[in-house]
Amino acid sequence: MNTNLLIGIVALTALAQEARSELKWEQTSVDLKPALGDKQAVAHFKYENVGNTPIHFESVHASCGCTTAQTQNEQVAPGQKGEITATFNIGGRTGTQVKTVTVRTDDPNPAHSTTVLTLKAVITPLLEIQPTLVYWQNGEEPKPKIITAKANKDAAIKKLDVVSSVPDFTAKVDAGSAPNEFKISVQPRDTTKAVYATLTIKPDSPANTGNTFAVAARVMPPAPTSGTAITPSTKATVSTVRHDLVTPAPTAASPRQ
Amino acid sequence: MDLIVGGIFIYAGVIKAVAPLRFAIDIDNYKMLPWAIGVRLAFYLPWLELVCGIALILRFFYRGGLLILTALTFIFIAASIIAKVRGLDITCGCFGHTSKNWSFTAHLALDFAILITLIALWVSSRAQQREL
Amino acid sequence: MKVSAIRQALLLIALAFVPAIGEAIYFRDRVSWRSPDRSSEMVNLDQAQSWGANAIWVDARPDNEFEQGHVPGAIPLNEDRWNELLPTLLAQWSLEKKIVVYCSSQSCNASREVARRLRDEAGLKEVFVLQGGWETWLKSKR
Repeated sequence: MNTNLLIGIVALTALAQEARSELKWEQTSVDLKPALGDKQAVAHFKYENVGNTPIHFESVHASCGCTTAQTQNEQVAPGQKGEITATFNIGGRTGTQVKTVTVRTDDPNPAHSTTVLTLKAVITPLLEIQPTLVYWQNGEEPKPKIITAKANKDAAIKKLDVVSSVPDFTAKVDAGSAPNEFKISVQPRDTTKAVYATLTIKPDSPANTGNTFAVAARVMPPAPTSGTAITPSTKATVSTVRHDLVTPAPTAASPRQ
Repeated sequence: MDLIVGGIFIYAGVIKAVAPLRFAIDIDNYKMLPWAIGVRLAFYLPWLELVCGIALILRFFYRGGLLILTALTFIFIAASIIAKVRGLDITCGCFGHTSKNWSFTAHLALDFAILITLIALWVSSRAQQREL
Repeated sequence: MKVSAIRQALLLIALAFVPAIGEAIYFRDRVSWRSPDRSSEMVNLDQAQSWGANAIWVDARPDNEFEQGHVPGAIPLNEDRWNELLPTLLAQWSLEKKIVVYCSSQSCNASREVARRLRDEAGLKEVFVLQGGWETWLKSKR
Protein backbone atom coordinates (compact mmCIF):
# COMPACT_ATOMS: atom_id res chain seq x y z
CA MET A 1 0.00 0.00 0.00
CA ASN A 2 1.71 3.19 -1.11
CA THR A 3 1.58 6.55 0.62
CA ASN A 4 -0.50 8.18 -2.11
CA LEU A 5 -3.29 5.76 -1.58
CA LEU A 6 -3.06 6.27 2.13
CA ILE A 7 -3.21 10.05 1.73
CA GLY A 8 -6.15 9.62 -0.62
CA ILE A 9 -8.04 7.53 1.87
CA VAL A 10 -7.37 9.94 4.70
CA ALA A 11 -8.46 12.85 2.53
CA LEU A 12 -11.67 11.14 1.53
CA THR A 13 -12.48 10.27 5.10
CA ALA A 14 -11.82 13.85 6.08
CA LEU A 15 -14.14 15.08 3.34
CA ALA A 16 -16.78 12.67 4.48
CA GLN A 17 -16.58 14.20 7.91
CA GLU A 18 -17.10 17.63 6.46
CA ALA A 19 -20.22 19.56 7.55
CA ARG A 20 -22.27 16.58 8.49
CA SER A 21 -25.12 17.50 10.68
CA GLU A 22 -27.71 15.00 11.57
CA LEU A 23 -30.44 14.70 14.10
CA LYS A 24 -30.98 11.08 14.98
CA TRP A 25 -34.33 10.11 16.39
CA GLU A 26 -34.72 7.26 18.81
CA GLN A 27 -38.25 6.75 17.54
CA THR A 28 -40.35 8.70 15.09
CA SER A 29 -43.53 6.88 15.96
CA VAL A 30 -44.86 6.37 19.45
CA ASP A 31 -47.86 4.28 20.51
CA LEU A 32 -49.68 5.37 23.60
CA LYS A 33 -52.39 3.77 25.69
CA PRO A 34 -53.75 6.48 27.94
CA ALA A 35 -55.35 5.23 31.12
CA LEU A 36 -59.04 5.65 31.81
CA GLY A 37 -59.80 9.18 32.82
CA ASP A 38 -56.56 10.63 31.44
CA LYS A 39 -57.11 14.00 29.87
CA GLN A 40 -53.86 13.97 27.93
CA ALA A 41 -51.51 11.57 26.26
CA VAL A 42 -47.88 12.59 26.18
CA ALA A 43 -45.25 11.24 23.80
CA HIS A 44 -41.54 11.86 24.10
CA PHE A 45 -39.51 11.87 20.93
CA LYS A 46 -35.85 11.69 21.84
CA TYR A 47 -33.19 12.98 19.50
CA GLU A 48 -29.44 13.32 19.41
CA ASN A 49 -27.23 15.41 17.19
CA VAL A 50 -24.83 12.85 15.78
CA GLY A 51 -23.28 15.29 13.39
CA ASN A 52 -20.54 17.81 13.93
CA THR A 53 -22.43 21.05 13.39
CA PRO A 54 -25.18 22.47 15.55
CA ILE A 55 -28.78 22.04 14.48
CA HIS A 56 -31.43 24.65 14.87
CA PHE A 57 -35.14 23.86 15.01
CA GLU A 58 -36.95 26.05 12.52
CA SER A 59 -40.44 24.90 13.31
CA VAL A 60 -42.22 22.28 15.33
CA HIS A 61 -45.75 22.09 14.16
CA ALA A 62 -48.58 19.75 15.10
CA SER A 63 -51.17 18.53 12.60
CA CYS A 64 -54.08 19.87 14.59
CA GLY A 65 -55.02 22.14 17.44
CA CYS A 66 -55.55 19.31 19.89
CA THR A 67 -51.85 18.50 19.99
CA THR A 68 -49.10 20.81 21.22
CA ALA A 69 -45.44 20.07 20.75
CA GLN A 70 -42.41 21.56 22.39
CA THR A 71 -38.74 21.04 22.05
CA GLN A 72 -36.40 21.08 24.99
CA ASN A 73 -33.82 23.22 23.26
CA GLU A 74 -33.99 25.43 20.18
CA GLN A 75 -30.42 24.70 19.27
CA VAL A 76 -28.79 21.29 19.52
CA ALA A 77 -25.03 21.19 19.73
CA PRO A 78 -23.11 18.27 18.27
CA GLY A 79 -23.41 15.36 20.62
CA GLN A 80 -26.23 16.96 22.54
CA LYS A 81 -29.41 15.05 23.27
CA GLY A 82 -32.90 16.27 23.87
CA GLU A 83 -36.51 15.51 23.25
CA ILE A 84 -39.64 16.87 21.72
CA THR A 85 -42.67 16.45 23.89
CA ALA A 86 -45.97 16.11 22.12
CA THR A 87 -49.05 16.57 24.27
CA PHE A 88 -52.28 15.33 22.85
CA ASN A 89 -55.41 16.68 24.50
CA ILE A 90 -57.86 13.85 24.29
CA GLY A 91 -61.04 15.81 24.76
CA GLY A 92 -64.04 13.78 23.69
CA ARG A 93 -62.13 11.61 21.27
CA THR A 94 -62.31 7.85 21.24
CA GLY A 95 -60.82 4.97 19.36
CA THR A 96 -57.49 5.03 17.58
CA GLN A 97 -56.25 8.57 17.18
CA VAL A 98 -53.24 9.41 15.03
CA LYS A 99 -51.65 12.82 15.33
CA THR A 100 -48.48 14.06 13.72
CA VAL A 101 -45.88 16.68 14.51
CA THR A 102 -43.80 18.05 11.66
CA VAL A 103 -40.32 19.14 12.63
CA ARG A 104 -38.18 21.32 10.39
CA THR A 105 -34.54 21.95 11.05
CA ASP A 106 -31.80 23.86 9.31
CA ASP A 107 -30.10 20.66 8.26
CA PRO A 108 -28.67 21.36 4.79
CA ASN A 109 -29.54 17.87 3.66
CA PRO A 110 -33.13 18.08 2.41
CA ALA A 111 -33.66 14.42 3.19
CA HIS A 112 -33.12 15.13 6.87
CA SER A 113 -34.46 18.61 7.30
CA THR A 114 -38.08 17.59 7.76
CA THR A 115 -39.17 14.82 10.07
CA VAL A 116 -42.73 13.73 10.77
CA LEU A 117 -43.27 12.41 14.26
CA THR A 118 -46.33 10.25 14.77
CA LEU A 119 -48.28 9.81 17.94
CA LYS A 120 -50.82 7.02 18.01
CA ALA A 121 -53.16 6.79 20.97
CA VAL A 122 -55.79 4.15 21.57
CA ILE A 123 -58.53 5.60 23.69
CA THR A 124 -61.15 3.42 25.24
CA PRO A 125 -63.81 5.48 26.91
CA LEU A 126 -65.32 4.64 30.24
CA LEU A 127 -68.62 3.96 28.52
CA GLU A 128 -69.36 3.36 24.87
CA ILE A 129 -72.91 4.39 24.22
CA GLN A 130 -74.91 3.64 21.17
CA PRO A 131 -76.96 5.34 19.92
CA THR A 132 -76.58 8.75 21.50
CA LEU A 133 -79.96 9.83 20.24
CA VAL A 134 -83.29 8.06 20.45
CA TYR A 135 -86.35 9.65 18.96
CA TRP A 136 -89.97 9.02 18.23
CA GLN A 137 -91.94 10.55 15.46
CA ASN A 138 -94.93 12.57 16.45
CA GLY A 139 -97.80 10.13 16.88
CA GLU A 140 -95.54 7.06 16.75
CA GLU A 141 -96.41 4.33 19.21
CA PRO A 142 -94.54 5.16 22.44
CA LYS A 143 -92.69 1.86 22.62
CA PRO A 144 -89.42 1.75 24.56
CA LYS A 145 -86.18 2.10 22.60
CA ILE A 146 -82.92 0.57 23.72
CA ILE A 147 -79.58 2.25 24.20
CA THR A 148 -76.63 -0.06 24.67
CA ALA A 149 -73.85 1.03 26.99
CA LYS A 150 -70.62 -0.96 26.97
CA ALA A 151 -68.43 -0.33 29.96
CA ASN A 152 -64.66 -0.42 29.84
CA LYS A 153 -63.73 -3.69 31.49
CA ASP A 154 -60.99 -2.09 33.56
CA ALA A 155 -63.50 0.23 35.14
CA ALA A 156 -65.44 -2.33 37.15
CA ILE A 157 -68.75 -0.58 36.66
CA LYS A 158 -71.49 -2.32 38.51
CA LYS A 159 -74.41 -0.15 37.72
CA LEU A 160 -75.57 2.90 35.83
CA ASP A 161 -77.84 5.62 37.08
CA VAL A 162 -79.90 7.27 34.40
CA VAL A 163 -81.82 10.47 35.07
CA SER A 164 -83.96 12.33 32.60
CA SER A 165 -83.98 16.11 32.52
CA VAL A 166 -87.75 16.15 32.06
CA PRO A 167 -90.38 13.76 33.43
CA ASP A 168 -91.75 12.99 29.96
CA PHE A 169 -89.26 10.17 29.53
CA THR A 170 -88.59 7.19 31.76
CA ALA A 171 -85.39 5.19 31.69
CA LYS A 172 -84.76 1.71 33.00
CA VAL A 173 -81.39 0.00 33.18
CA ASP A 174 -80.92 -3.74 32.75
CA ALA A 175 -77.92 -5.96 32.36
CA GLY A 176 -76.96 -6.50 28.76
CA SER A 177 -76.25 -9.70 26.87
CA ALA A 178 -72.50 -9.50 27.42
CA PRO A 179 -70.46 -8.82 30.56
CA ASN A 180 -69.92 -5.10 31.17
CA GLU A 181 -72.87 -4.34 28.95
CA PHE A 182 -75.99 -2.46 29.98
CA LYS A 183 -79.26 -1.93 28.19
CA ILE A 184 -81.01 1.34 28.87
CA SER A 185 -84.64 1.23 27.97
CA VAL A 186 -86.11 4.68 27.25
CA GLN A 187 -89.79 5.35 26.88
CA PRO A 188 -91.77 8.54 26.29
CA ARG A 189 -95.01 9.09 28.13
CA ASP A 190 -96.75 10.15 24.98
CA THR A 191 -95.71 11.13 21.51
CA THR A 192 -98.25 13.80 20.73
CA LYS A 193 -96.17 16.79 21.63
CA ALA A 194 -92.55 17.61 20.88
CA VAL A 195 -90.20 17.10 23.81
CA TYR A 196 -86.46 17.21 24.19
CA ALA A 197 -84.70 15.54 27.10
CA THR A 198 -81.12 14.98 28.11
CA LEU A 199 -80.62 11.66 29.83
CA THR A 200 -77.67 11.83 32.16
CA ILE A 201 -75.91 8.51 32.66
CA LYS A 202 -73.77 8.19 35.74
CA PRO A 203 -71.65 5.07 36.09
CA ASP A 204 -70.68 3.95 39.57
CA SER A 205 -67.02 3.16 39.38
CA PRO A 206 -63.96 3.75 41.49
CA ALA A 207 -62.24 5.08 38.37
CA ASN A 208 -65.05 7.50 37.74
CA THR A 209 -64.32 10.98 38.92
CA GLY A 210 -67.72 12.50 38.45
CA ASN A 211 -67.82 11.73 34.77
CA THR A 212 -71.30 11.60 33.35
CA PHE A 213 -72.49 10.85 29.89
CA ALA A 214 -75.46 12.25 28.10
CA VAL A 215 -77.78 10.97 25.45
CA ALA A 216 -80.65 12.82 23.90
CA ALA A 217 -84.23 11.61 23.80
CA ARG A 218 -86.79 13.37 21.71
CA VAL A 219 -90.31 13.31 20.53
CA MET A 220 -90.14 15.05 17.19
CA PRO A 221 -92.44 17.90 16.31
CA PRO A 222 -95.23 17.08 13.87
CA ALA A 223 -94.05 17.02 10.26
CA PRO A 224 -93.95 20.58 8.96
CA THR A 225 -96.97 21.53 6.86
CA SER A 226 -96.49 25.14 5.78
CA GLY A 227 -94.14 27.89 6.83
CA THR A 228 -90.87 26.06 7.22
CA ALA A 229 -92.47 23.34 5.14
CA ILE A 230 -90.83 21.34 2.48
CA THR A 231 -92.75 23.08 -0.24
CA PRO A 232 -92.99 21.29 -3.58
CA SER A 233 -90.26 23.51 -5.01
CA THR A 234 -87.89 22.68 -2.15
CA LYS A 235 -88.71 19.02 -2.62
CA ALA A 236 -87.80 19.28 -6.28
CA THR A 237 -84.54 20.99 -5.39
CA VAL A 238 -83.84 18.32 -2.83
CA SER A 239 -84.37 15.49 -5.28
CA THR A 240 -82.38 17.11 -8.07
CA VAL A 241 -79.66 17.92 -5.62
CA ARG A 242 -79.47 14.28 -4.57
CA HIS A 243 -79.15 13.33 -8.21
CA ASP A 244 -76.39 15.87 -8.63
CA LEU A 245 -74.69 14.41 -5.62
CA VAL A 246 -74.48 11.03 -7.30
CA THR A 247 -72.91 12.14 -10.56
CA PRO A 248 -70.35 14.82 -9.71
CA ALA A 249 -69.05 12.94 -6.70
CA PRO A 250 -67.77 9.98 -8.75
CA THR A 251 -66.02 12.19 -11.28
CA ALA A 252 -64.41 14.01 -8.45
CA ALA A 253 -63.42 10.76 -6.82
CA SER A 254 -62.04 8.95 -9.84
CA PRO A 255 -58.66 9.98 -11.16
CA ARG A 256 -58.52 11.65 -14.52
CA GLN A 257 -58.86 8.78 -16.96
CA MET B 1 -61.16 -10.36 -35.02
CA ASP B 2 -59.13 -11.53 -32.04
CA LEU B 3 -57.42 -8.19 -32.11
CA ILE B 4 -60.66 -6.29 -31.92
CA VAL B 5 -62.25 -8.34 -29.19
CA GLY B 6 -58.98 -8.62 -27.28
CA GLY B 7 -58.52 -4.91 -27.65
CA ILE B 8 -61.99 -4.20 -26.32
CA PHE B 9 -61.29 -6.20 -23.19
CA ILE B 10 -57.88 -4.70 -22.69
CA TYR B 11 -59.44 -1.26 -22.96
CA ALA B 12 -62.27 -2.18 -20.61
CA GLY B 13 -59.79 -3.71 -18.18
CA VAL B 14 -57.50 -0.70 -18.14
CA ILE B 15 -60.33 1.78 -17.69
CA LYS B 16 -61.49 -0.07 -14.61
CA ALA B 17 -58.09 -0.95 -13.24
CA VAL B 18 -57.17 2.71 -12.91
CA ALA B 19 -60.28 3.53 -10.91
CA PRO B 20 -61.01 0.55 -8.70
CA LEU B 21 -63.05 2.52 -6.24
CA ARG B 22 -65.36 3.81 -8.95
CA PHE B 23 -65.76 0.28 -10.22
CA ALA B 24 -66.49 -0.97 -6.69
CA ILE B 25 -69.30 1.56 -6.45
CA ASP B 26 -70.65 0.45 -9.82
CA ILE B 27 -70.63 -3.19 -8.75
CA ASP B 28 -72.37 -2.22 -5.54
CA ASN B 29 -75.09 -0.48 -7.53
CA TYR B 30 -76.24 -3.84 -8.83
CA LYS B 31 -77.04 -4.73 -5.23
CA MET B 32 -76.29 -8.37 -5.85
CA LEU B 33 -73.17 -8.75 -3.77
CA PRO B 34 -72.17 -7.48 -0.35
CA TRP B 35 -69.76 -4.58 -0.46
CA ALA B 36 -66.87 -6.57 1.00
CA ILE B 37 -66.99 -9.00 -1.93
CA GLY B 38 -67.75 -6.38 -4.52
CA VAL B 39 -64.79 -4.24 -3.59
CA ARG B 40 -62.39 -7.17 -3.86
CA LEU B 41 -63.85 -8.09 -7.24
CA ALA B 42 -63.42 -4.48 -8.30
CA PHE B 43 -59.69 -4.86 -7.81
CA TYR B 44 -59.49 -8.26 -9.43
CA LEU B 45 -61.82 -8.33 -12.44
CA PRO B 46 -60.24 -5.55 -14.49
CA TRP B 47 -56.92 -7.35 -14.40
CA LEU B 48 -58.58 -10.59 -15.40
CA GLU B 49 -60.12 -8.85 -18.39
CA LEU B 50 -56.82 -7.29 -19.28
CA VAL B 51 -54.89 -10.53 -19.00
CA CYS B 52 -57.46 -12.41 -21.07
CA GLY B 53 -57.58 -9.64 -23.65
CA ILE B 54 -53.82 -9.94 -24.01
CA ALA B 55 -54.17 -13.71 -24.17
CA LEU B 56 -56.48 -13.30 -27.17
CA ILE B 57 -54.19 -10.96 -29.02
CA LEU B 58 -50.97 -12.84 -28.34
CA ARG B 59 -52.69 -16.18 -28.84
CA PHE B 60 -51.26 -17.31 -25.57
CA PHE B 61 -53.61 -19.46 -23.50
CA TYR B 62 -56.06 -18.42 -26.16
CA ARG B 63 -58.88 -20.79 -25.45
CA GLY B 64 -58.64 -20.33 -21.70
CA GLY B 65 -58.90 -16.60 -22.17
CA LEU B 66 -61.87 -17.04 -24.50
CA LEU B 67 -63.59 -19.23 -21.95
CA ILE B 68 -63.20 -16.72 -19.16
CA LEU B 69 -64.24 -13.74 -21.23
CA THR B 70 -67.30 -15.53 -22.49
CA ALA B 71 -68.28 -16.46 -18.95
CA LEU B 72 -67.71 -12.88 -17.75
CA THR B 73 -69.72 -11.37 -20.56
CA PHE B 74 -72.54 -13.80 -20.01
CA ILE B 75 -72.68 -13.13 -16.28
CA PHE B 76 -72.53 -9.44 -16.90
CA ILE B 77 -75.40 -9.48 -19.37
CA ALA B 78 -77.46 -11.52 -16.94
CA ALA B 79 -76.70 -9.14 -14.08
CA SER B 80 -77.62 -6.11 -16.19
CA ILE B 81 -80.95 -7.60 -17.14
CA ILE B 82 -81.74 -8.57 -13.58
CA ALA B 83 -80.84 -5.11 -12.37
CA LYS B 84 -82.99 -3.50 -15.02
CA VAL B 85 -85.91 -5.73 -14.15
CA ARG B 86 -85.52 -4.76 -10.48
CA GLY B 87 -85.72 -1.16 -11.56
CA LEU B 88 -82.21 -0.23 -10.50
CA ASP B 89 -80.59 2.69 -12.23
CA ILE B 90 -77.34 1.27 -13.46
CA THR B 91 -74.69 3.30 -15.16
CA CYS B 92 -72.90 0.48 -16.84
CA GLY B 93 -69.53 -0.13 -15.28
CA CYS B 94 -68.20 -2.08 -18.21
CA PHE B 95 -66.53 0.76 -20.02
CA GLY B 96 -66.18 2.93 -16.99
CA HIS B 97 -67.77 6.26 -17.32
CA THR B 98 -66.93 6.90 -20.90
CA SER B 99 -70.04 5.04 -21.89
CA LYS B 100 -72.27 6.53 -19.27
CA ASN B 101 -74.40 8.38 -21.74
CA TRP B 102 -75.40 5.36 -23.76
CA SER B 103 -78.82 3.88 -23.35
CA PHE B 104 -79.44 0.55 -21.74
CA THR B 105 -80.37 -1.12 -24.99
CA ALA B 106 -77.28 0.14 -26.73
CA HIS B 107 -75.16 -1.36 -23.97
CA LEU B 108 -77.02 -4.62 -24.07
CA ALA B 109 -76.71 -4.81 -27.85
CA LEU B 110 -72.97 -4.24 -27.67
CA ASP B 111 -72.57 -6.87 -24.99
CA PHE B 112 -74.57 -9.40 -26.94
CA ALA B 113 -72.46 -8.69 -30.00
CA ILE B 114 -69.34 -9.28 -27.94
CA LEU B 115 -70.77 -12.49 -26.55
CA ILE B 116 -71.64 -13.81 -29.97
CA THR B 117 -68.22 -12.90 -31.30
CA LEU B 118 -66.56 -14.70 -28.42
CA ILE B 119 -68.65 -17.79 -29.03
CA ALA B 120 -67.85 -17.61 -32.72
CA LEU B 121 -64.14 -17.39 -31.96
CA TRP B 122 -64.46 -20.34 -29.64
CA VAL B 123 -66.20 -22.43 -32.24
CA SER B 124 -63.66 -21.58 -34.91
CA SER B 125 -60.76 -22.34 -32.61
CA ARG B 126 -62.24 -25.72 -31.80
CA ALA B 127 -62.61 -26.36 -35.48
CA GLN B 128 -58.97 -25.40 -35.98
CA GLN B 129 -57.93 -27.68 -33.16
CA ARG B 130 -59.70 -30.56 -34.76
CA GLU B 131 -57.90 -29.94 -37.98
CA LEU B 132 -54.57 -30.22 -36.25
CA MET C 1 -49.07 -27.26 -26.30
CA LYS C 2 -51.99 -29.45 -25.48
CA VAL C 3 -53.13 -27.73 -22.35
CA SER C 4 -56.88 -27.90 -21.99
CA ALA C 5 -58.91 -24.73 -22.13
CA ILE C 6 -59.94 -25.11 -18.51
CA ARG C 7 -56.37 -25.38 -17.33
CA GLN C 8 -55.44 -22.34 -19.38
CA ALA C 9 -58.35 -20.48 -17.87
CA LEU C 10 -57.25 -21.39 -14.38
CA LEU C 11 -53.74 -20.22 -15.09
CA LEU C 12 -55.02 -16.92 -16.43
CA ILE C 13 -57.20 -16.52 -13.38
CA ALA C 14 -54.19 -17.10 -11.17
CA LEU C 15 -52.04 -14.77 -13.24
CA ALA C 16 -54.51 -11.93 -12.90
CA PHE C 17 -54.22 -12.17 -9.12
CA VAL C 18 -50.71 -10.80 -9.16
CA PRO C 19 -51.40 -7.26 -10.40
CA ALA C 20 -54.74 -7.27 -8.62
CA ILE C 21 -53.15 -7.91 -5.26
CA GLY C 22 -50.43 -5.40 -6.02
CA GLU C 23 -53.05 -2.78 -6.73
CA ALA C 24 -55.04 -3.69 -3.66
CA ILE C 25 -51.95 -3.21 -1.53
CA TYR C 26 -51.32 0.15 -3.14
CA PHE C 27 -54.87 1.27 -2.43
CA ARG C 28 -55.20 -0.48 0.89
CA ASP C 29 -55.58 2.64 2.97
CA ARG C 30 -57.70 4.47 0.48
CA VAL C 31 -60.49 2.01 0.17
CA SER C 32 -63.08 0.96 2.70
CA TRP C 33 -62.89 -2.83 2.66
CA ARG C 34 -65.82 -3.68 4.83
CA SER C 35 -68.59 -1.22 4.16
CA PRO C 36 -69.45 1.18 1.37
CA ASP C 37 -67.19 4.14 1.06
CA ARG C 38 -68.41 7.47 2.28
CA SER C 39 -67.12 9.47 -0.64
CA SER C 40 -70.70 10.41 -1.39
CA GLU C 41 -70.78 12.35 1.86
CA MET C 42 -69.14 15.38 0.24
CA VAL C 43 -71.28 18.27 -0.80
CA ASN C 44 -70.19 21.47 -2.48
CA LEU C 45 -71.06 24.94 -1.28
CA ASP C 46 -73.74 25.62 -3.88
CA GLN C 47 -75.61 22.44 -3.14
CA ALA C 48 -75.39 23.00 0.59
CA GLN C 49 -76.67 26.54 0.27
CA SER C 50 -79.53 25.44 -1.95
CA TRP C 51 -80.87 23.45 0.98
CA GLY C 52 -81.63 26.75 2.66
CA ALA C 53 -83.34 26.44 5.99
CA ASN C 54 -83.25 22.67 5.82
CA ALA C 55 -79.52 22.67 6.35
CA ILE C 56 -77.96 22.65 9.80
CA TRP C 57 -74.39 23.92 9.61
CA VAL C 58 -71.94 22.32 12.01
CA ASP C 59 -68.52 23.80 12.69
CA ALA C 60 -66.02 21.08 13.57
CA ARG C 61 -63.13 23.44 14.29
CA PRO C 62 -61.59 24.17 17.70
CA ASP C 63 -63.42 26.67 19.93
CA ASN C 64 -61.06 29.58 19.33
CA GLU C 65 -61.44 29.30 15.56
CA PHE C 66 -65.21 29.14 15.88
CA GLU C 67 -65.16 32.30 17.97
CA GLN C 68 -63.11 34.17 15.42
CA GLY C 69 -65.72 33.58 12.78
CA HIS C 70 -68.14 30.96 11.59
CA VAL C 71 -71.00 30.42 9.20
CA PRO C 72 -73.96 32.38 10.60
CA GLY C 73 -76.16 30.07 12.58
CA ALA C 74 -73.59 27.28 12.65
CA ILE C 75 -73.50 25.03 15.70
CA PRO C 76 -70.05 24.27 17.11
CA LEU C 77 -69.31 20.59 17.52
CA ASN C 78 -65.69 19.60 17.91
CA GLU C 79 -64.03 16.54 19.34
CA ASP C 80 -62.40 18.44 22.18
CA ARG C 81 -65.78 19.05 23.78
CA TRP C 82 -67.84 16.44 22.00
CA ASN C 83 -70.01 15.39 24.95
CA GLU C 84 -70.77 18.97 25.96
CA LEU C 85 -71.60 20.24 22.51
CA LEU C 86 -73.48 17.30 21.04
CA PRO C 87 -76.79 17.83 22.91
CA THR C 88 -77.25 21.26 21.32
CA LEU C 89 -77.09 19.76 17.86
CA LEU C 90 -79.33 16.85 18.76
CA ALA C 91 -81.93 19.23 20.17
CA GLN C 92 -82.12 21.13 16.88
CA TRP C 93 -82.02 18.22 14.51
CA SER C 94 -85.09 16.78 12.86
CA LEU C 95 -85.62 14.24 10.13
CA GLU C 96 -85.96 16.59 7.21
CA LYS C 97 -82.80 18.51 8.06
CA LYS C 98 -79.50 17.95 6.35
CA ILE C 99 -76.37 18.40 8.40
CA VAL C 100 -73.43 20.11 6.73
CA VAL C 101 -70.18 19.72 8.65
CA TYR C 102 -67.23 21.93 7.83
CA CYS C 103 -63.78 22.60 9.13
CA SER C 104 -60.76 24.44 7.92
CA SER C 105 -58.35 22.73 5.58
CA GLN C 106 -55.67 23.47 8.17
CA SER C 107 -57.44 21.45 10.83
CA CYS C 108 -56.97 17.76 10.78
CA ASN C 109 -59.67 15.49 9.36
CA ALA C 110 -62.08 17.06 11.84
CA SER C 111 -65.18 17.47 9.67
CA ARG C 112 -65.06 13.90 8.38
CA GLU C 113 -64.56 12.54 11.90
CA VAL C 114 -67.43 14.58 13.26
CA ALA C 115 -69.63 13.48 10.34
CA ARG C 116 -68.67 9.87 10.94
CA ARG C 117 -69.45 10.05 14.64
CA LEU C 118 -72.81 11.67 13.98
CA ARG C 119 -73.66 8.82 11.66
CA ASP C 120 -72.24 5.99 13.75
CA GLU C 121 -73.03 7.15 17.27
CA ALA C 122 -76.15 9.25 16.91
CA GLY C 123 -77.53 7.29 13.98
CA LEU C 124 -78.20 10.42 11.93
CA LYS C 125 -78.58 9.77 8.25
CA GLU C 126 -78.31 12.93 6.18
CA VAL C 127 -74.87 14.07 7.25
CA PHE C 128 -72.56 15.75 4.75
CA VAL C 129 -69.11 17.28 4.69
CA LEU C 130 -68.56 20.61 2.99
CA GLN C 131 -66.08 20.36 0.16
CA GLY C 132 -63.42 23.01 0.56
CA GLY C 133 -64.50 23.77 4.11
CA TRP C 134 -64.47 27.13 5.83
CA GLU C 135 -62.10 28.61 3.25
CA THR C 136 -64.56 28.00 0.44
CA TRP C 137 -67.33 29.69 2.37
CA LEU C 138 -65.11 32.67 3.14
CA LYS C 139 -64.17 33.00 -0.51
CA SER C 140 -67.79 33.05 -1.53
CA LYS C 141 -68.39 36.01 0.73
CA ARG C 142 -65.87 38.18 -1.11
